[in-house]
Amino acid sequence: MSVYRSPGFDFSNSTRNNFLLNKGVPLPKATSTGTTIVGCVFKDGIVLGADTRATEGPIVADKNCEKIHFITEGIRCCGAGTAADTEFTTALISSNMELHALQSGRKPRVVTAMTMLKQTLFRYQGHIGAALVLGGVDPTGPQLFTIHPHGSTDKLPYVTMGSGSLAAMAVFESKWSANMERQEALDLVILAISAGIFNDLGSGSNVDACIITADGTEMLRNVDMPNQRVQKERDYKFRRGTTAWTKEDVRKFVVEETVTSTDEMDTS
Amino acid sequence: MDHIDFNRLKTGEVNLGTSIMAVQFQNGVVIGADSRTTTGSYIANRVTDKLTHVHDRIYCCRSGSAADTQAVADAVHYQLQMYTQMSGGPPPVHTAAALFQRICYENKDGLSAGIIVAGWDKEAGPSVYNIPLGGGLFRQPWAIGGSGSTYVYGYCDATYKEGWGRDETVDFVKNTLALAMSRDGSSGGVIRMCVITEEGVERLFVPGNELPKFWEGAEVLGHAKKINQAEGLAPMVVEA
Amino acid sequence: MTSIGTGYDLSASTYSPDGRIFQVEYATKAVENSGTAIGLKVKDGVVLAVEKLIHSKLSVPEANRRIQTIDRHIGLATAGLLADGRHIANRARDEASSYRDTYDAPSPLKNLAERLGLYTQAYTLYSSVRPFGISTILGAFDKEGPSLYVIEPSGVYFGYNGAAVGKGRQLAKTELEKLKLSELTTKEAVYEAARIIYLVHEDAKEKEFELEISWIGQETDNVHLPVPRELQQDAEAKAKAALETFE
Repeated sequence: MSVYRSPGFDFSNSTRNNFLLNKGVPLPKATSTGTTIVGCVFKDGIVLGADTRATEGPIVADKNCEKIHFITEGIRCCGAGTAADTEFTTALISSNMELHALQSGRKPRVVTAMTMLKQTLFRYQGHIGAALVLGGVDPTGPQLFTIHPHGSTDKLPYVTMGSGSLAAMAVFESKWSANMERQEALDLVILAISAGIFNDLGSGSNVDACIITADGTEMLRNVDMPNQRVQKERDYKFRRGTTAWTKEDVRKFVVEETVTSTDEMDTS
Repeated sequence: MDHIDFNRLKTGEVNLGTSIMAVQFQNGVVIGADSRTTTGSYIANRVTDKLTHVHDRIYCCRSGSAADTQAVADAVHYQLQMYTQMSGGPPPVHTAAALFQRICYENKDGLSAGIIVAGWDKEAGPSVYNIPLGGGLFRQPWAIGGSGSTYVYGYCDATYKEGWGRDETVDFVKNTLALAMSRDGSSGGVIRMCVITEEGVERLFVPGNELPKFWEGAEVLGHAKKINQAEGLAPMVVEA
Repeated sequence: MTSIGTGYDLSASTYSPDGRIFQVEYATKAVENSGTAIGLKVKDGVVLAVEKLIHSKLSVPEANRRIQTIDRHIGLATAGLLADGRHIANRARDEASSYRDTYDAPSPLKNLAERLGLYTQAYTLYSSVRPFGISTILGAFDKEGPSLYVIEPSGVYFGYNGAAVGKGRQLAKTELEKLKLSELTTKEAVYEAARIIYLVHEDAKEKEFELEISWIGQETDNVHLPVPRELQQDAEAKAKAALETFE
């Protein structure tokens, strides 16, 4: 092969990968968080909710992870999909939102974060596997959006995402109403997340919630812990003497050692 | 893959399996759409607004990939704002349509977007432009699009007349969309419509339980049952 | 020319201590030596006319045109360096065609004038280039109706009802001011334009010249065209006759 390369993109690996794929060699898989995340509008703000299970295939990788990410003080974002992607995309947008607020001298808006996220995700044509629920309160009022991995957005009064979204949406569709009180909305979000935790294999462990109003943001880490390990009802230790023995033989395994000093080494 | 994939959606992509429509009348246009957005078999949004503002008197109806059509509409919206600032006046509808076409044609391999552009301008009055998948640009008195449209071409051909007023046109759009939504599984929910005239843009909303009703097949099944009872027919005995 | 020898005129990127850019002023001088070009914006169109000086009896008639077509509806007349005029016309054609590609509509003259103004101004910024030695008259019939602009070597541009650039501009402007431009038809304007060009030429007692004259408006279905030969001949005959009676 020549030491010179032609300029421009090189797609030879793509050909190789497709060949390997046809031979039955699977592509490496990214860590995906089977997840339940939700958001809902109430009288004076937004409640976001998430479960805390992170999975790697069939294994629970983290039993108490955080899926509600910080964007700005009044804007938060729940992430489902590829864990690393949600983590880094939200961190990037959070950083850019701070710079934007500093630059413009204005309070950051949720639509700004939404636009930044959708444009980032669209540019990557779905290769950034982030499915997001974005919510917050800004000078224009409470705002709630979902953002899909390909960069499409929806604006709705109650939203769910992740593998547990169907279970959670069932709860919202039957119980959500307009102009709910703060506590009502929080209870509903906990109920929706619980539906995901109990009915979806990809979701589990505890409930995180975040209440955002014009007065401030309250992050409620583990508001509900329906899967605490409790004292077992019975003691499963066997009583001494449960097993009979025929012979007893006690041996000493500790080796006796003595330390003696020799002449000092000549270091001159 | 040896067949042509007409839809060209990426797996897991949010789809506007859609029924959309725009019709020109004497002093304006009526545009309409269903409200269903799907991811596979799941309805990701049952009250979607597919009628997207791109300028004061120019809207577009989006079908295909939600992400693609939103990105295209955002880009055109931006370009039309720039145009307005530079020229000091609103753009003609065909200019907006040309901007959509440019993006759709130049990126035809990467986009799945079927867009109808409609609106009112000072030069041409009301107009409707259809930009189907390959990035063509066609001016039409009426246009339908999305997966649901295939079921109602015949209805539109048989029903459409020139010289209608606002109310007749609104009814035509409403009935066409209701028919499309009842036959197309990827369409449904509510009907959203906009009437765009020189005076302004009027939004209309038809809830899912108030859609125009057409033949639904129920009375035929009911009738058959009665005949069975009258003749006293019994199910065939199955031997043990 | 007190500036000569001071060194402040060597580059377009250098100001003189009193805030002038001599290279731009020299470019203006190049325009002032050129045959006159005028433009008339009237009721239903625009007329462009140029006094093209003939430097040699051997040159082919109607060669080296100073009125050029930019787009179907846009005409351009230059006064100054002929080659610079051709360059700016090519740039104008690119701009007009690019506008058509993007917006699927003919470029408004306002837009084209701004783009060419910006382009011309860029040539007053760098030491590696010289400013254009031309003043450009742009005429068009667009969405807004008839319109007329002039771009100077500095890059500034203004809209006008009547415009004159080149050697005989002062007299031409005086004559244009006497006209009720907004009430004239393009046909009437053709006669006035021919008369003014003949008049300013006579005044300067110059060598041979050739009249170039074009129009855009209702008469031409809004297309920029040279005026028909018979009309031009008639206008020239009347212009010559008017010289006898003038003053």
